[in-house]
Amino acid sequence: MNSFFRKLTWLRQRRRKEDDLRDELQFHLDEESDQLRAQGLADDEARQSARRDLGNITLVKEDTRATWSWTSLEQLVQDLRYAARTMRNNKAFTALAALSLALGIGANTTIFSFLDALLLRSLPVADPASLVVLRWHSKLGAWRTDDFVMEGMHGEVYDDASGSVSDLFPYPAFQFFQKAGAGVFSDVFTYCHTRDVRTLNLTIKGQADIASGELVSGDYFHGLRVVPASGRLIFADDDRFGAAPVAVVSHVLADKHLGGANNAPGQSILIDNLPFTVVGVAPPEFFGADAAQVPDVYLPMHTNVLLGAADSYGSTAGDYLEQNDYWIQVMARLRPGVTLAQAQAAMAGSFQQWIATTAKNDKQRANLPTLAVEEGATGLDTLRRHFSKPLFVLMTLVGSILAIACSNVANLFLARAASRRCEIALRLSLGAGRLRVIRQLLTESVLLAVLGGMFGVFFAILGMRFLSVLLESGSRQITIHADLNWHVLAVATALSLLTGMLFGLAPAMQSTRLDLVAALKEARASGTRGQHSFWRISISQTLLVGQIALALLMLVAAGLFVRTLSNLESVELGFNRENVLLFQVDAQKAGRREPNIAPFYSDLRKRLASIPGVRHVSLAETSLLGAGSSHPITVPGSPPHDATRILSIGPDFLTTMQIPLLAGRDIEDRDHPGSPAIAIINQRFARDNFGDQNPLGRHLILWKGKDPARDMEIVGVAKNARYGGLKEQIPPVVYFPYDQGYPPRNEMVFALRTAGDPLSYVRSVLETVGQADPRMPLTDVQTQTEEINEDMSQETTLASLCTAFALLALTIACVGLYGTMSYTVARRTGEIGIRMALGAQRRAVVWMVLREVAILALVGLAISIPAALITAKFIESFLFGTKPSDPLSMAIAVTILLSAALLAGYVPARRAARIDPMNALRHE
Amino acid sequence: MSQKPPSRVELLQGTLDLLILRTLRAGPTHGHAIAKHIQRTSEDLLQVETGSLYPALHRLEAQGWIAASWELSDKGKRARYYRLTPAGRKQLETEQLKWHAFSRAMGLVLNPADQEAQ
Repeated sequence: MNSFFRKLTWLRQRRRKEDDLRDELQFHLDEESDQLRAQGLADDEARQSARRDLGNITLVKEDTRATWSWTSLEQLVQDLRYAARTMRNNKAFTALAALSLALGIGANTTIFSFLDALLLRSLPVADPASLVVLRWHSKLGAWRTDDFVMEGMHGEVYDDASGSVSDLFPYPAFQFFQKAGAGVFSDVFTYCHTRDVRTLNLTIKGQADIASGELVSGDYFHGLRVVPASGRLIFADDDRFGAAPVAVVSHVLADKHLGGANNAPGQSILIDNLPFTVVGVAPPEFFGADAAQVPDVYLPMHTNVLLGAADSYGSTAGDYLEQNDYWIQVMARLRPGVTLAQAQAAMAGSFQQWIATTAKNDKQRANLPTLAVEEGATGLDTLRRHFSKPLFVLMTLVGSILAIACSNVANLFLARAASRRCEIALRLSLGAGRLRVIRQLLTESVLLAVLGGMFGVFFAILGMRFLSVLLESGSRQITIHADLNWHVLAVATALSLLTGMLFGLAPAMQSTRLDLVAALKEARASGTRGQHSFWRISISQTLLVGQIALALLMLVAAGLFVRTLSNLESVELGFNRENVLLFQVDAQKAGRREPNIAPFYSDLRKRLASIPGVRHVSLAETSLLGAGSSHPITVPGSPPHDATRILSIGPDFLTTMQIPLLAGRDIEDRDHPGSPAIAIINQRFARDNFGDQNPLGRHLILWKGKDPARDMEIVGVAKNARYGGLKEQIPPVVYFPYDQGYPPRNEMVFALRTAGDPLSYVRSVLETVGQADPRMPLTDVQTQTEEINEDMSQETTLASLCTAFALLALTIACVGLYGTMSYTVARRTGEIGIRMALGAQRRAVVWMVLREVAILALVGLAISIPAALITAKFIESFLFGTKPSDPLSMAIAVTILLSAALLAGYVPARRAARIDPMNALRHE
Repeated sequence: MSQKPPSRVELLQGTLDLLILRTLRAGPTHGHAIAKHIQRTSEDLLQVETGSLYPALHRLEAQGWIAASWELSDKGKRARYYRLTPAGRKQLETEQLKWHAFSRAMGLVLNPADQEAQ
């Protein structure tokens, strides 16, 4: 190490050393001639003799210099210089190779940065490795049946190949974990996002705004070891009934509304019109335990009873005792020295006993879920479940692109190595070691890869911005914080170096294995048929076949995604998406209480209808695509229909959404609280329940528990319209007025059918709502078309990215094909000249070249068509209205690939056909 | 048997370093003086090629066995003076031991009679 630095210093002081050496040698000459003069020689003679004695000064200097510097470092500098010179002399080659590498590396870095943000990054808390998440597993789909201990839930259960899994628990389970887990867990804490806090109406200094909240148990912040940015966090004592209501706000919210983190503690704010005191601010990097939720406000769990008090679906104190209602998520911290497996072993058995006590009958007892203690360092995985699979698909795609780019550059290098045979043979015969030459060639390829990597990082930055926008526009509530951190940069660097080695090594090894005499004698155009060239041809052909095969796979995938998207776009909606403005309001969160809510909405609807240009106004509990609630509804005398879905709506809903009526009438203004209860059913419900009979005038019973809550007369039959998403089958649906009794509604989505662009009405809508109630914030303002596009966002993203990637892959593969064929044609100029001199037609020559391309392409297809059929199964879950083996997508992909390949081969083929036999033969 | 001694002796590979180190043991001096000293003490049998002297000096310097500085020569000219470093002194001792062993061994093999006679 010491000598390394000394040598580095010498490199820096090189100029001074040169001067020193010159002076030193000059001194030697002077001294020598002085002595000679002293021996009696004449001045001239003495000087000449001294010069003679010293010998070749340049050589002396050269030899001395060789002792100064660290040889390998100097050789590296030499190699780099030589490589840079070679690259400058082959600008087109360098640009092409570096560009394809840059695209490959850039695409990989982009996708990796998202994978990194999503899957690999730990929660920004102390010692994340000791955090665990508690989950239950059960037989696939068991939770959907009545024979399961979970009778109610607020959250998600995921079904996968191994069964159903969820991180939801009833509150008593949390108390059980605290008690039973004391031996293995130092902290057990819980949090949730029930509907009470998902959207909070925040009033700070008289200004209303919307915020997202998280309910956390008293030991949540302590368990996560989070340190507040200012003030204090929530304590155990805050989390009980009757405690003074406190809140911890996010750093962003404190900056935006509370005058910064330092001023926030102590301020009073209104949350859903209830007074809370801000006690502290969370640190800026903290985003809660689930990356999918980025809460603005953290509230003690028990405040949900305050918040839910006014809501008929709100939380109650009873929820804390309910053993079969699953609504909280539980995390824990392992005691030091306890492993995951030990914790699992300690908890599984006792949980089994505990959960058995919550079963209400033998069927439930036979179907108990099992506990799993799983790694929690990266927090909860809602986001991962949403995005990891598409990201893995993308990662595979970009990996393929990089493979194609690498093999492409390898091919270019092979072709160039062949044209550098003479140079390399000369160097080897002059005594350069094979390793030395390989090292020099590798330096060239690694330098190229590093150049590609640098541009790749640049592409990655653009790609990350683009992809963030694409993902965010898809789901506004989800943020992935992808950025260029050292993980990502390290991966990009490693990728560059690795690719440089990969595509450089084979050509370098092969081009230094030469028969020197033959190579030096060899004239450029004469055939290079021989053992070595056979090896080279087969390598480059293999690479080309691989590229074609991968490109086809990607084309097929792109085809399937594009078909899926177009299927979704052309899906029959059953309503008219054009010129509809949607927005949500919540009178209860703005402080209104029953029975004032329904009249307020009715009044608001009339005000909105008077906006000039608004043709129809209606309202419903949710938008049609966001719908998804069910309630027991029966035809008298038949059992409740499980699949029935409901939508409570306001007057003119069908007219506003332009859902055609098949019979009867729409809900009108005359249907109000107190008038006879009515309902409208969709076609599917009519067919399922009434067959060919006329449903008009028949009655439906809506149940509240065991009591009939509403007896509704069917007054209309509507054509089937989408309900709850584009991909789902249209279920049997019952529409009924929102204000005719149980169940009551709080938040409502208004729909305005406008003349012209709906977004131009946003301002007047805001003013109108403000006039009706200044405390009423609007959320989710969007057009119906935007909502539909959002529903298709994942498909749109996949289709556009995959198409872009496939085209990229195709372009790179075609460039490779073109390059290789051009080289082949150049190499066979002599042979082609002879053929033509002997009477071969130009057309035959073109065919001869194209045949080679066609054979390569066909071999590639023969490999990749079966591969495509197999791999397409992995993306089946992303497809809609098309099968993985969709023949049309396959045919289009094959056609595109073949035409592109033949096009890439046609240019060199034309060039071959233009060879003038006389010129070619003279060349020989 | 009389044989004319050779006018010049080719330097054996690696011996130049040893000669330089040994010369410098007497005190710091410059390249030209080192060459002349070796030539003179070997009774002109050893002629140091300037083409190998300076690379050798710089190599020894890079190895840290000798150090160099610019000083004024006897005649008042700027000259690059080399002197032995402690590491060089140690190196000289090892090399000298090796050389003695080597030359004794060569002597034993080449002139067994001399040995027997003694």
